Amino acid sequence: MATSIEKAPPAPQRAGAHTIIGTSIVIDGEVSGDENLLVLGTVKGKISLKESLFVESSGVIEADIETANVDVSGQVTGNIVASEKVELKANCKVVGDIRAPRILIADGAVFKGSVDMDVKGK
Amino acid sequence: MATSEGTTIIGESILINGNLNGDEDLTVRGRVEGTLTLTKMLVVEPTGMVKAEVQVKNCIISGAVVGNVTASESIQITKEGRMVGDISSPRVIIVDGATFRGRIDMGEVNVEGEDAALARGSSRPALRAPPRAALPRPERGEDQSKANAGEKSAAKPPPPPVPVAMGAMKRKVIVRRK
Repeated sequence: MATSIEKAPPAPQRAGAHTIIGTSIVIDGEVSGDENLLVLGTVKGKISLKESLFVESSGVIEADIETANVDVSGQVTGNIVASEKVELKANCKVVGDIRAPRILIADGAVFKGSVDMDVKGK
Repeated sequence: MATSEGTTIIGESILINGNLNGDEDLTVRGRVEGTLTLTKMLVVEPTGMVKAEVQVKNCIISGAVVGNVTASESIQITKEGRMVGDISSPRVIIVDGATFRGRIDMGEVNVEGEDAALARGSSRPALRAPPRAALPRPERGEDQSKANAGEKSAAKPPPPPVPVAMGAMKRKVIVRRK
């Protein structure tokens, strides 16, 4: 189906290598790890991952983000630094600066901040 | 992808440092440090490590917990569970093989005679719903239908409806008539 592109990519097959922050969860502090993180709730503080961060439409992030990939359908307030790609989906709301070699902004995404695709500094 | 609502999973390689609040079940396979407050169940899996002040409703510890745990309903430390810290909960279950060091407070405990047992019983919320009322025994139903048959022969008004969903009983009645 054509819509399959819109959905979150399939979870890696490694058992237990997927973290989900549920809708009613509020984390105030630092989240770090080596695996994908799916946020449906709220995270404040700092997120640093070696894999991908998915912010679903119910997800709210008020944090600086440092990951490989970021996929935003919800709200993000804070600076995003990604080593690979940042994707702002339709209906997302992002306030902050983005630095990544590849940045995709879909039609309907709300974004305020600066974009830096220059990777020479990295 | 199993993104069932109402379940949060902290994966094996994840470290959370800070406060974590929520109104849903939480499964910890990674590390959580700081404070952890939930209105539902916390499950610490064997790979999980929690170094936090924990306040939850129910708690099952199969991994490691360092810190004080307050549970409004129950705490269980399984055979793989390790915990250092104080427990405060009306129900505490520590199974054989579990490792624990700390104090346990189960609330008001009257240590004098029968009153103690009563107070204990009442202060402990029931974990499971009480067993369902036993179904009416087939023998009784049979007796009833026997009586009904007797009434029929005496040309009495039709018998009251026999409870349904008792196929076996019905069969028995037929056999008896023959």
